[in-house]
Amino acid sequence: MDPSPDIIIVGAGATGLSFAWRLATQQPNLKILILERGGHIDQRQGPSLSTDWELALQRQFHANPNIRRSAVDYPVDETATPIKPAFFNAVGGSTIRWGAHFPRFRPSDFRVLSEDGVAADWPITYESLAPYMDINDEMMGVSGLAGDPANPPRNNRPHPPLGFCRGSLKLARAANKLRWHWWPADAAINSRDDSPNRSACNNCGPCGMGCPRHARASADIAYLDKAVTAGVALRTHTIVRKIKASKNVITGVETIDGTGKIKVIRCKEVVLAGNAISTNILLATMPDWHNPLLGKGLMLHPTAIVTGYFADNLNGHAGPFATSLISQEFCETKEDRGFVRGFQLQALRGQGPLSTALGGYGQRLDWGAGHTQAFAKAFGKSMSLTVTCEDIPEPENCIEINMHTQDKFGMPIAAMRYRLGDNTRKLRDYGIERASDWLNDAGANRLAITRLSVQAGFHIMGTAPMGSDKSNSVTSHDGRLHGIENLTVIDASVFVTASPVNPTSTLQALALRAADLMCERLAQN
Amino acid sequence: MSSDVVIAVLDCLVPGDTDGWPAAGQHGLAPKMLELLETLSVDGRQQLAIFLSHLPENFPALSTEKQIEILKTIELSNPDTFETILKACYSAYYTDPEIRRILELKTGYEARPPQPLGYDMLPFDESLLEPVRARGPIWRKVR
Repeated sequence: MDPSPDIIIVGAGATGLSFAWRLATQQPNLKILILERGGHIDQRQGPSLSTDWELALQRQFHANPNIRRSAVDYPVDETATPIKPAFFNAVGGSTIRWGAHFPRFRPSDFRVLSEDGVAADWPITYESLAPYMDINDEMMGVSGLAGDPANPPRNNRPHPPLGFCRGSLKLARAANKLRWHWWPADAAINSRDDSPNRSACNNCGPCGMGCPRHARASADIAYLDKAVTAGVALRTHTIVRKIKASKNVITGVETIDGTGKIKVIRCKEVVLAGNAISTNILLATMPDWHNPLLGKGLMLHPTAIVTGYFADNLNGHAGPFATSLISQEFCETKEDRGFVRGFQLQALRGQGPLSTALGGYGQRLDWGAGHTQAFAKAFGKSMSLTVTCEDIPEPENCIEINMHTQDKFGMPIAAMRYRLGDNTRKLRDYGIERASDWLNDAGANRLAITRLSVQAGFHIMGTAPMGSDKSNSVTSHDGRLHGIENLTVIDASVFVTASPVNPTSTLQALALRAADLMCERLAQN
Repeated sequence: MSSDVVIAVLDCLVPGDTDGWPAAGQHGLAPKMLELLETLSVDGRQQLAIFLSHLPENFPALSTEKQIEILKTIELSNPDTFETILKACYSAYYTDPEIRRILELKTGYEARPPQPLGYDMLPFDESLLEPVRARGPIWRKVR
């Protein structure tokens, strides 16, 4: 590629690849270059082909970069947050490491201020995003079932629902007894063969370390080949260190590669598609641009996990671990609960033997006499429910950039400063009670409760929210930075509110929409 | 460092039982556990040194009760160190081929990797959803 591309996209993850594909197919004459700090992960040779696959989760596929410490990871100061950062640096980004649960934000998630008097409204609506969610469902290969009464009507998913396990059946029947909503989880996982490159899921279980069958989508599997065919160029092991600007116009980026070589690449537009942490770091490298709201309003999905242990063997290891069924009975505000907004309950299947011993979603098994008996009572006999809490954006929760410390790439280090707000605590506690009710009604004879999952900062949202102007936001409705015409943010830092459901479907739809809006703007210019 | 010490520690952590589960140390997992300490933790070697510094030289010769008492003291005083050792011990134990074979005999969980064979699942039965559908829409329409 010509050394001066038109567009540089920073990050080849969920948003970077989808944005690039959409832009390239809409505007084939654009020279688009993606710069990715990580390399390719060969999922065809993934750890789940090995008997000691569970070891990989402890190190090279650990979600926390501070524990994983691969050559391309950067440190995050996590001392002031009870929920630790979780993201993956590679082509495919954190979708390499995910469970592929794929719900959509719902209409009220975009109107939290108008509906519930807290936080803010998004400058866009559910209806404006839904068509992009449909496109993305096709690209990612989503399985699920139409007709969910907790969500607006929508098209059939490209794939029928995944199979059910014994534990899912117990939960479904119990929810019916409780008269609660439940539905098979939407999953970015092929439930039938999608030739030539993607096979149907064979229920192996550990989706979070890559899928050798390519049944489980990741951004690289779903988008990369199509983006490259459309003319997109990808450069791996290239870390963007700085955004270069002249007054209020971005002129390019400064990069460093694996050999330490520093280079400036000029371009007309820069698109930040990493995560809220990397975006905050890069925006801090622009000395002439400032917005006091940047970094504020960090939202996570605080997650409690209630695990039920059953008398019978549920074969809990079989089936995608995170995409069994969900309940959205408690997502919306009900005044008598004492908090606003809500939570989603999501079933998690059991785990492998080592993860069971180490605690998995439940509690680490005691050592010493009785250990093996405790193992026999736990292994294959559990189902868990996550209580995924909607976080309200609060200024105290933030990402701070320390310009006086540098990582090995010469970049400032970000700190997450976060604590659970009162509303979040209340809805979390209420959610634990409901999850316990559900598991007890399903026949669990014992519960283990994790009130706050520590290694669960997967959904890092907010800190550069969308809005009408710089008095209330950092970016405009198309992700462009207020005050700078040619810098667009498309990662989850632009989220205005968090919803109680996983963000990737909504996130990628926003990226596709942002690509279309950029096309229109460039065409006008 | 005496391998007898590590074997004795492993036997305390996972002593096995009369139901066919072997003790971790006697099963010969000490070398694998030490190897995993280095590969699974950035500071595994340091943590091992800290851990061993809390053990008396005659640890293997002590009674099981005394050994357990010492380990419980370390668990309380150096929880991070203890967890690192325990994690390596469990990791060695539950990924060992012979232990996996025993697990298969006892639970039916096959001693093979999840891929390429995967597992069977029940097809989804839509009739389960009849009560949910019968309630009608519950999603919130917004202004």
